[in-house]
Amino acid sequence: MIHRPAYPPRETRLVMRSVLIALLPGIVAMSLFFGAGVLLNLATAIVTALLSEALCLKLRHRSIQPRLSDWSVVLTGVLIALSLPQAAPWWLTIAATASAVILGKHLYGGLGQNPVNPAMLGYALILISAPVAMTTLWINPLNPPDVEAAWMAFIGNPSDAYTGATTLELYQSEFSALTALEAKQHPLFANAQLGFIYGYEWVALAYLIGGLWLLYQRVISWHTPVGLLATLLVISAFFSVDPDTATPVWVHLIAGASIFAAFFILTDPVSGATSPKGRLWFAIGVGVLTYIIRTYGQYPDAIAFSVLMMNFAAPMIDHYTRPRIMGREASIKGPGGQS
Amino acid sequence: MAEYQIRRCDRHLTGGIHPETHKQLSTAEPCVFVETPTRLLFPIHFSGGGPGEALVRVGDPVAKGTPIIRCQSGIVHVASRAGTVLEVTDHAMAHPSSERSACIVIEPDGLDRQDYLSPINWPFDAETLRERAIEAGILGLGGAGFPSFKKWSNRTQTLIINAAECEPYLTADDTLIRIDTHSMIRGACLLSRTLDIQTIVIGIEDNKPEALQAIECALKESRSDCFFDIVLLDTKYPSGSARQLVWLTLGIEVPTGSRSVEAGVIVHNPGTLAALSRAIDGKPITDRIVTLTGESFTRPKNVIAPIGTPISHLIAATDTNPQSLHSVIIGGPMMGYRVTDFSAGITKTTNCLLAREVEVQPESPCIRCGACATACPVRLQPQQMVAALKGDALNRAIHEGLGDCIECAACNAVCPSNIPLAEWFRRGRFEMKERAREHQQASDARDRFEARNTRLERLAQEQEAKRAARKAKSADALNKARKAREEIS
Repeated sequence: MIHRPAYPPRETRLVMRSVLIALLPGIVAMSLFFGAGVLLNLATAIVTALLSEALCLKLRHRSIQPRLSDWSVVLTGVLIALSLPQAAPWWLTIAATASAVILGKHLYGGLGQNPVNPAMLGYALILISAPVAMTTLWINPLNPPDVEAAWMAFIGNPSDAYTGATTLELYQSEFSALTALEAKQHPLFANAQLGFIYGYEWVALAYLIGGLWLLYQRVISWHTPVGLLATLLVISAFFSVDPDTATPVWVHLIAGASIFAAFFILTDPVSGATSPKGRLWFAIGVGVLTYIIRTYGQYPDAIAFSVLMMNFAAPMIDHYTRPRIMGREASIKGPGGQS
Repeated sequence: MAEYQIRRCDRHLTGGIHPETHKQLSTAEPCVFVETPTRLLFPIHFSGGGPGEALVRVGDPVAKGTPIIRCQSGIVHVASRAGTVLEVTDHAMAHPSSERSACIVIEPDGLDRQDYLSPINWPFDAETLRERAIEAGILGLGGAGFPSFKKWSNRTQTLIINAAECEPYLTADDTLIRIDTHSMIRGACLLSRTLDIQTIVIGIEDNKPEALQAIECALKESRSDCFFDIVLLDTKYPSGSARQLVWLTLGIEVPTGSRSVEAGVIVHNPGTLAALSRAIDGKPITDRIVTLTGESFTRPKNVIAPIGTPISHLIAATDTNPQSLHSVIIGGPMMGYRVTDFSAGITKTTNCLLAREVEVQPESPCIRCGACATACPVRLQPQQMVAALKGDALNRAIHEGLGDCIECAACNAVCPSNIPLAEWFRRGRFEMKERAREHQQASDARDRFEARNTRLERLAQEQEAKRAARKAKSADALNKARKAREEIS
């Protein structure tokens, strides 16, 4: 019987390790449905992350060993690898990871100092710089590549046979002309065992399990995942009253990176809001922006941009969501004491 | 029999932590008197009650109870044993600053000469009691050392006996309640009668069943007509912090910037009340219970030691060689401070010597995980405050609520990055108070300067007026004389 701890882990190293453990079910599910490319991406990203971190620490004359062994940069690498297209070539992963660690983290002073989520910064940078690779190299879970094909994709020769756009994009571009019932006939939906989207639904479930375990371990608080998922649920439910014209609720929740982001991306404590109430508002903000960008924007998924935008809003959220201090009439609002 | 009720506290501390209590370590052995040491040390300015002046000179003979120091607040400290004043010299002391300061050194002669006050008899008024508390050197024995008489206001409705003792390892209060229950109850009753307090609340954590039983027995025997409301608290740190205790037992949130006294509540440590009871009989504070505990002591226990006993003497009382220890912590693991010079003497606020080996983990950067905010009993955001302090932005830290911090160090205990948050806050709060003091001094100086200017101006005007009057008068006289002359001629 696992005993629920009374406190979050007592060491940064253990916090990061818990998150990595919680990602394992999702990694397994993704490898099963999207092929060995996921693991190749992971390996590349982890090695790049460690090397970039070591390089930066050396240039900054900081001790290397404690930071490399606290798992934080490994986590950044893993989060990027899991966000990239599964048939991404090696250079894409390396570029995304190196920019995340170097530009997103160390330019601002390393662990604990980054104003924005490094993984999302790396992702967004590459999405803007290499939009074609980032939008066409997603693997169709109905037809995942074998190991050899995955390797070919990794070294830069992907095949159209198993790659394409994300389901979310698919739904928004190709199915917009169809009615909901017609769209449902697509093999991705028709073959789904759980009734949602083939493959994606299992991946989402795996991330959900990992995320719930993190909640149980008190590594994260409920405010963030509930804030994001509830916002997406409410907004998409409200606007998709007619499923023929709008992307339905379940696509918003299962496709895209909603669940992964809710438990593993938005919960980055460094760049997010810090009070419980602040975390809730932060996640709600990401939810609203995500829905807007997904619906009206040009990019396949919107989480990265929404997270980056809300990261910049986090200090302001912090100023207005302080808890009421014991002995005070009201909570202190707004910035102050700058002089 | 005094009327009383026992109830479980229906409020729960926001935040707080459950550290290992380690209390059984020091309660296994009975509480004993330590032998009188060969030297007793009394810091003149740091014995509690503010800076003081020595009332004795080198070579003076003193008896047990002879006043030796009078502090700015009026509080008098007495010699804890009979002997001779050996010297007045700079010496190490048991104080967080770990600096050396002037101390009176007394060499006890082992004789039983006493120099006590005369007992005061009931009925007496609050002023008499205050005077007695000053003469007997009564101050908060829980660790803060705040002069007790300053808390006694006539607008007080409730007296809370702080028997929570939530700090891990400490059992001094627990011990005192068990062996000196009657004094504590008597002190509480007499204080309440004098200040016209109706209810006495005893806040006690539920991990002290023996102490609770002792209180019950004493109350059954007591003939007091005060009502005792015994509140059983969850064992959670820091439920014994004054503000937290007032809220837990009475539901009153003491407003920021004011003391519990202003909310009509007095909070006293059990030891303080027992000492008050003895002071009424004429005995000033000469001894206190000290918990000697920690894994590094061979035989941890509670002892009754004369004030001024050197730390090394107490370490030896636990069958431990003082040389085998590098440092001890005075207070507890949460709020205590480290002392390395064992020749320093204990003061009235030294409730515990803790000796244990703690592996210090290296500090890593804050990742804003918020664990400290969850543990904070005041609902502060320590992660924001420490970021401001590390960035040298004291004003921003104050804006975030630095002034509300109770320095309980619960944040330290949960920080995954091992950041010594409480040390930052202690330093920040010190700087904050210094700044306020400087500000006050500057504005006082300005006021004085302006007052002087107006005074000088007024004087000048007065002199001018006088001169004018004199001039007018002499001119008048001259005129009159001239007129008279004219008339004559």
